[in-house]
This record gives sequence, structure tokens and C-alpha cells, in this order.
Amino acid sequence: MNINFSGVSKIFEPDIAALVDINLNIEQGEFVYIIGQTGSGKSTLLRLITRELLPSRGVVAVGGVDMRKINTSDIPYYRRDVGLVAQDFRLIPSLTVYENIAFVMEAMSVPKKLVAERTRAVINQVGLWRRRTMRPSQLSGGEQQRVAIARALANSPSLFIADEPTGNLDFTTASEVMKILFAINAAGVTVVMSTHNQSIVNSSRRRVIELVGGRLVRDEKGGTYVS
Amino acid sequence: MTALKYILRDMVRLVVHHWVLGLLTLITAGVMLWILGVTTLLSLNIENMLTKLESELAVQAYLVKDNTLDVEAVSKKIQSLEYVASMKAFSPADSLAKLQEKMGSQSRALEMLGDNPIPWNFEIHVNRAEDVAPLVNALKEMPEVEDVVYAGMVVRRISALSRIASRVAMIMFILSVVITSLVVYNTIHISLYSRREEIGIMYLVGATRAYIATPFVLEGTLLAFFGALIACGGIIAAYFPGIELIRENLPLLTNILLTDRGIIWRFCALLAGFGATLGWVCSYLVVSRFINSITRPE
Ligand SMILES: Nc1ncnc2c1ncn2[C@@H]1O[C@H](COP(=O)(O)OP(=O)(O)OP(=O)(O)O)[C@@H](O)[C@H]1O
Ligand SMILES: [Mg+2]
Repeated sequence: MNINFSGVSKIFEPDIAALVDINLNIEQGEFVYIIGQTGSGKSTLLRLITRELLPSRGVVAVGGVDMRKINTSDIPYYRRDVGLVAQDFRLIPSLTVYENIAFVMEAMSVPKKLVAERTRAVINQVGLWRRRTMRPSQLSGGEQQRVAIARALANSPSLFIADEPTGNLDFTTASEVMKILFAINAAGVTVVMSTHNQSIVNSSRRRVIELVGGRLVRDEKGGTYVS
Repeated sequence: MTALKYILRDMVRLVVHHWVLGLLTLITAGVMLWILGVTTLLSLNIENMLTKLESELAVQAYLVKDNTLDVEAVSKKIQSLEYVASMKAFSPADSLAKLQEKMGSQSRALEMLGDNPIPWNFEIHVNRAEDVAPLVNALKEMPEVEDVVYAGMVVRRISALSRIASRVAMIMFILSVVITSLVVYNTIHISLYSRREEIGIMYLVGATRAYIATPFVLEGTLLAFFGALIACGGIIAAYFPGIELIRENLPLLTNILLTDRGIIWRFCALLAGFGATLGWVCSYLVVSRFINSITRPE
């Protein structure tokens, strides 16, 4: 699934231009950092890809499908192929860590046994097995973030969208998470993540897209945090 | 199959989470559906009574005493009138014989009349009490008909009673349906509202609307269904002893009331089905509206 923005603007009521005339193309299997100051439009860009938002102007297409024209009934199936780590985690407060992750597979009617196996695997991957019976409110910010990452991994998506997935993590845990993301990317998954973390961007040298005030000012392969 | 298990589990979660509200909904639905059931049964009984009485209502039309009259043609003419359900013709001789039979030992008096004074006449039955008045008017306009005899007062009273009964039943029916619907609608709305954040998240991570909606719809359907079962229990508990009471005190009424247990059981099954359907429709409406509004992208 390639991601294509052509002439995309997003204006929030009454007149906040969060994104202005964005053109970009991301091929399947790429690893892309979205950087920029707070308020520059990073989350808005990612939320256009997941279709939480629709563009005010222009076209956002994923896998050739215009997100404005996609059939309502196809949206859930599209999202099952997208692993999403939201900036505010979006965990279900009434469910435990385990249930939060199992849910995405249950919604796809995966049999209980397979759900159990896969849930256990991804929880272990982010090192939270001992927290599995806790609810999100009982977890630290960093732990919640890792639950969100585990949930995004659960469906083995072909597109991984992460909004500052290391924002609440210390250096070591952040490195662990980045290892996971590099690994799934090596296996062919497209990864698009926003970040403020300079050392991660500088040490890995991937494609960097920089936003300033909602405008795309730099799109550089193998870039660093500061051009 | 797998999906169904997950959905049922989620529904149980919903019901347990809002059990106080659920209980209140159950009780309200139960009481309202009980009222609905009782008034419907009452009006069914009145209807039953009326049809039994109406079938005995007859209009007697006496023709003019004229030997040249073509009785056959008149009979056809009456038959073709709008309100006639059935009719029977009596010749003068038949009528006299009938009269003599009725008068028994006093029938000798009739012999003193000499010529049979009774003309050809027809006993006409209608379907409904309301039909009597227009039929009588139509008969009176026919030149061949000399006189029309019917139980005018009784007819008028019966049709008035029937109208009032069905109007009251209709009002109670609408009232119960509206209140039950509102309560179910509101409960499911609260259930949805308290989970609006979760619904958004579920949709975001790939759950279909149907998967998200079904537990809520089931919750509403089950609450109304169990409410209806409570109502049925109340009806059965009240109806059969009530019939017994009437049987002892007003035995005359017994054979014009619905006393067949089979009918009452079937009525209860119908009420339960109606409750479940009502619950389903209400919760389906509120759930689809709510989920639409929550999952709409900005
Ligand atoms: N739902 C919304 N309604 C109105 N304005 C919004 C909405 N979402 C975002 N904005 C505005 O759009 C602009 C871009 O927001 P966005 O969340 O994309 O920034 P960001 O780059 O992700 O910032 P951060 O690094 O702090 O997460 C901001 O000015 C924000 O106030
Ligand atoms: Mg953001």
C-alpha cells in the first residue's frame, strides 16, 4: 500500500491551517520520520492516513484508494491492515492490557486460542507480561505507550503509523521499541512515525519529512534531524 | 460462531456494568407492557362479547301485504344491500306457525283472526352493530317494505361501547409503546454515551460497526424482552384468578369472555415477541444514530 498526498490542506474550524498544500508519496516498505515543532501538523498528517480526518482540499490516497471515497463498510478492513500508535494511546479504559490487545483480533473473529497466543507474544515483545491484568489507568505513561505499540503489532499490519511512539520512554526502552520497528520494517512493513527525538533520527538515517507551520519544507532520504 | 461468542460476552459486560439502570428499565418495560397487555385483553374481551351479541342482532323487514308482489325479486334486492351479512325469508304460513309455536296454549287466539295477517318477511343479519342503522334506512326507502323492526336502543349502546373500548385500548396501547420505547431508547443511549470513547477506539482499530453495535442492540432487545416476560407473568397471575372470580359471581358472563387458556398463552407469546421487537427497533435506531455520529471523520 503506497501513501499519496496530493495538494492536501487541512483547515480546522474556524481557520486553523494545520496542513497546507502537502504533496508526498510513500512507497510500501519505506521508513519515514515526520519531524517538526509542536503544532506543525505531524499528528494531523498521520490522522489523515488513518482516516480519522478528511482533507479540506486535495486527495489522500492509500493503496490507490481515495480516503474520501472509500466505502464505509471497507474502512474497518482497511484499518485492520494499519497498526496505529496514537499520540494519546487510545486504549480502552475499561479493559485490561490483555483485553485491549486481544480486542483487535476478536473484532476480526480470530479464534480464542490464536488470540491468546498472539496477544501473549506481542505483550512479551514490549515487556509488559506482568502488567497484563492491569487497566490503562493503573499504568505509567511509558507503559501505556508500549501497550499501544503491542496492540498496533497484534494484527501484523502492512502499514505502521506511530505518533511519537517513544515520547514517554527513557533512552533504553525507546531503543527497544525502535528495534521492533526496524525489524518489522525489514520484514516489509511501511513505518511512518512522528518524533521529536533527534538522536533516534540522526543515528538511523532514514527518510525525513519536516513540517513547519503545516507546510512541507524538507523531504530528504537518509536525512538528519537538523538539515 | 467465534464472533458471536465475543459479542455475547461484550453484551454481558454491558448489562453487568449498568445493572441498576438495566433493572429500572426492566421494571418500567414490564409495567408498561403489562398495562398494554391487560388493556388489549380487556378490549379483546369486549370485542368478543360484541361479536357474540351482534351475531344475534337481527333486523326484521315486513313486506307490504300484496299478493301480486314478486317476493323473489324483493329478496334479491335486499340481498344486494350493502350491509347484509345473511338473511332468511319467512312465508306468511311459516311465520304464523312460528308464532303459534311461541304462544303455545294461547295459540287458539290466532285462529280468531281468520285470514293470516302476517306478510312475507325477512330476518336480516349484519356483521357489526354499526351497520344496523344504515341498513334500516335503506330498507325503509324500499316501497315494497312496509315495516322494519329492530332493537334500536341496544344496537346504539353496543356500538357506542365498542367504540369507547377500542379507543381506550388504542390510547393505552400507544402510551405503553411510547413509554417503553423511550425508556429503552434512553437506557441504551446512556450505555452508549458512557462508552463513546471506547466506541471511537474500537472503530479506529478495525472493528466493524455491526460488531460494535450488536452488544448494545442485544442489550436493549433483551431488556424489553425480559420486561415483556415479567408482564406476561403478571397477566397470567391476574387473568385466570379474575376469570375464576367472574365465573363464581357473574356466571352469565362466563361464556362471552375469553376463558380458553390456550388463547391467553398465545397472547403472552405474542406480547413477548412484541416486547423484543420493540426493544430491537428502539436500540437499533439509537445505536446506529450514535455510532454514525461518533465514527464520522472530522
Ligand atoms: N481537532 C482539531 N481542531 C482544531 N484544531 C486542531 C485540531 N487538531 C489539531 N489542531 C490544530 O492543528 C495544528 C496542528 O496540530 P497537530 O496536532 O497536527 O500538531 P503536531 O505537529 O502533532 O504537534 P505535537 O508535536 O505537539 O504533537 C495545531 O495548531 C492544532 O491546534
Ligand atoms: Mg502531535
